[in-house]
Amino acid sequence: MAAPDQIQSNVEESIKGAEEACAEDPASGECVAAWDEVEELSAAASHARDKQKVSDPLETYCKDNPETDECRTYDN
Amino acid sequence: MAICTPLNSSTYSSIIPQQNHHDAAVSFARRACWRATSSHRPRRGFTVITCASSDAGTVVIGLAADSGCGKSTFMRRLTSVFGGAAEPPKGGNPDSNTLISDTTTVICLDDYHSLDRTGRKEKGVTALDPKANDFDLMYDQVKALKSGVAVEKPIYNHVTGLLDPAEVIKPPKILVIEGLHPMFDERVRKLLDFSIYLDISNEVKFAWKIQRDMAERGHSLESIKASIEARKPDFDAYIDPQKQYADAVIEVLPTTLIPDDNEGKVLRVRLIMKEGVKFFNPVYLFDEGSTISWIPCGRKLTCSYPGIKFTYGPDTYFGQEVSVLEMDGQFDRLDELIYVESHLSNLSTKFYGEVTQQMLKHADFPGSNNGTGLFQTIVGLKIRDLFEQLVASKAKSPVEAKA
Repeated sequence: MAAPDQIQSNVEESIKGAEEACAEDPASGECVAAWDEVEELSAAASHARDKQKVSDPLETYCKDNPETDECRTYDN
Repeated sequence: MAICTPLNSSTYSSIIPQQNHHDAAVSFARRACWRATSSHRPRRGFTVITCASSDAGTVVIGLAADSGCGKSTFMRRLTSVFGGAAEPPKGGNPDSNTLISDTTTVICLDDYHSLDRTGRKEKGVTALDPKANDFDLMYDQVKALKSGVAVEKPIYNHVTGLLDPAEVIKPPKILVIEGLHPMFDERVRKLLDFSIYLDISNEVKFAWKIQRDMAERGHSLESIKASIEARKPDFDAYIDPQKQYADAVIEVLPTTLIPDDNEGKVLRVRLIMKEGVKFFNPVYLFDEGSTISWIPCGRKLTCSYPGIKFTYGPDTYFGQEVSVLEMDGQFDRLDELIYVESHLSNLSTKFYGEVTQQMLKHADFPGSNNGTGLFQTIVGLKIRDLFEQLVASKAKSPVEAKA
């Protein structure tokens, strides 16, 4: 399952950018910083994916309204 | 007239006699409230007085881990041990990295980036580089929170890569600072009551990143590898050395139980616990200080392949005395977990089976069937124990000063 489109295209672009930057000089700061950006965006994409997975409408409603009838839990 | 000094346990008994002569009891209650005086040199602006939510001041925990903040599994397990779920601040910036529960506030150290994503690209600097982080601000604000003063902390927006306007953070009972550099700056290190380093070996890191990124369009094995390799020099230079300062290190390695396993699914996890840390008693197996090798699977317990193997023993780590508890393998069933728990000692549980209960509560979290989940849960209980002991010791010393 892929992340929302905006973030996904960001990851794609950043990878292309990193490959370009490193083609010129693999040891340069630009190359390293570009791959670091890829890592940061990949992490953001993965979090976005996780957020998407967890949207059960009842869960989200009950997080904000735990005292309503549908959301009460009885522990004993 | 109020004195603005950082509150830590060693200065307690010396502060109390210096307060108002009138009433020692009153000054005990007041001592947690500070006014930020002009000598404090506020950086981005401090909000005025707030008292620490517990009279003992704020306990500060540092957690060092590579790229990932706040939402991580470790943080959720930790905050769950203290009770309550940690949520982003309500009504604030939706991209805030901060998590708040009843007792705990988790701050992501990425918020102290001095360069945003564009700035770093221009300078050719990674987020791992100290040049990209404002350690002065980090120190000022952690010190302030520890002494009971609220702060306005910047927000680093991971979605846009920009630094967003600040949010107000009130001093909690337990403050967790999580990120790449919690132990990098010596002044910040001294503020930490307990510190943890999550040490993932290169093979496991590679396997996890493949699992994470292969679903992304644009990524390939080569790009994942290139990203790891490019970041490695900065990581080894700035992040990795922090592990020598940690009170507990959770080291994640590939398993030894399956020859040539490179999927990273079965893990060998080592909990390296420093000896002699105040209020922290390392977990042990059977006999403290001895060396044990234990395979619980046998006549009383049947496990499925590849099984479980534990070792425990004293060791040295960067020249310091440590105790190491290691688990290799996976839990398959509830009874394996409770069996293992019943044989470990010094777990700081409040009742028999608490570790198992915590693990079951979050059975869907990654690592719930191996040492990562187990040791993260145990570290959470140890921190709770440390917090309670600290509170108890601080409650005692003003009484002694009075007499």
